[in-house]
Amino acid sequence: MRVERRCVIDADRDTVWKVVSDPDCYPEFIASLERWERVTEGPAKKGARYTVHWKIGSVPIGGEVEVSEFDPARDLAWIGISGVSLRGRFRIRDNGDGHTKVIFRLAYESAGSLLGLIADRVAARQVGRNMTETLKNLKRMVEA
Amino acid sequence: MAGIADLLEWARHQVASRVPKADLDQRDPDYIREQLPGTWLLASLYFRADVRGLDRIPAEGPVLLVGNHSGGNVPPDTFVFTLAFCSYFGVERPFYQLAHNLVVSAPPLGWLRKFGTVAANHENARMALESGGALLVYPGGDYEVFRPSWERHKVDFGGRKGYVRLAREAGVPIVPIASVGGQETALFLDRGQWLARLLRVDKLARLKSVPISLALPWGINIGDLAGHIPLPAKIVVEAQRPIEAAEVADGDDDVVHKKVVESLQAGVDRLASERRFPVIG
Repeated sequence: MRVERRCVIDADRDTVWKVVSDPDCYPEFIASLERWERVTEGPAKKGARYTVHWKIGSVPIGGEVEVSEFDPARDLAWIGISGVSLRGRFRIRDNGDGHTKVIFRLAYESAGSLLGLIADRVAARQVGRNMTETLKNLKRMVEA
Repeated sequence: MAGIADLLEWARHQVASRVPKADLDQRDPDYIREQLPGTWLLASLYFRADVRGLDRIPAEGPVLLVGNHSGGNVPPDTFVFTLAFCSYFGVERPFYQLAHNLVVSAPPLGWLRKFGTVAANHENARMALESGGALLVYPGGDYEVFRPSWERHKVDFGGRKGYVRLAREAGVPIVPIASVGGQETALFLDRGQWLARLLRVDKLARLKSVPISLALPWGINIGDLAGHIPLPAKIVVEAQRPIEAAEVADGDDDVVHKKVVESLQAGVDRLASERRFPVIG
């Protein structure tokens, strides 16, 4: 299941990147975040690992993720290495006039054949709402 | 009379011989992972479950999770908490649950052993904790799970406190797990302890209750041995603050037990105060 949300922020790419690439900011702007812990020490970079859980439905869903792409002011991507199969990405691009377009993508897949497919579909609405809320929070933080 | 005694002894042997020997290796993380989506659908859509406070459970190492039990032979609090624990800590973390002999020996419920369910006795519990696993126990067992629905917000272990000795011997902390909603999945009328004594199943099968309830699809449901279809009551589960291993080790059984029950009762009271209506939540 792939869910995507986007927004335009009234700030340049470097300013947006400062927030997106700072793990300490995540509890503040990621919506429905139930658990956010560093697994590896040091600054965010490719290979850094975190434990992340979102409250989706009845329980926290997520697991350990590893940063798979860390391209300053362009892309931050991660993959899930435990829990639900997961890929995520913040894609940051110029939008003219000093504005920045942020695209937030999550692709996930539960185990368990048919019930897994149904669960993915049912969860997609709440995942989408959380992503929309996350981008609103990001926009508010950066533009403040 | 000798014939009846022989028949009872034969029945007791049949039940006892069918209780599988606990084998912690039967727990299968891949199987659990594949069941989680279906369990999540049931918990999220049917029971509108809400699980809180998982961050209070130590992130690693053995721990004794002590819950209040509700819902008769189809207890939604158990599977909702199991789902939450496996989602939060990952299916890789060893997690076991104690269940009544009749539950683990029933052929249709053999899959429970893949979830880490073992027969409820002191040896199995100690083995699970000494292996480094987290262990979920319901000391109230069949006594508490069949309490009348009008006592649904009362924590009542029936005086059982062997779990304190278990935690002390294993040197592990205790985390009380409070839940509400399970006793609203049917209308439980009476524990039927008098019926259990009359039928002698208290001696034969360690069944202290032959409960009487109104439940789907049976109407009047005596015994609940075949289970029932639970009403879609909203289930809320909350982990309480841990009682550290040192405190368990130094404390008297009665003192630690009192602290656990008070913690559970306070949690249940708080969760119950958030409910506006039975079943709906």
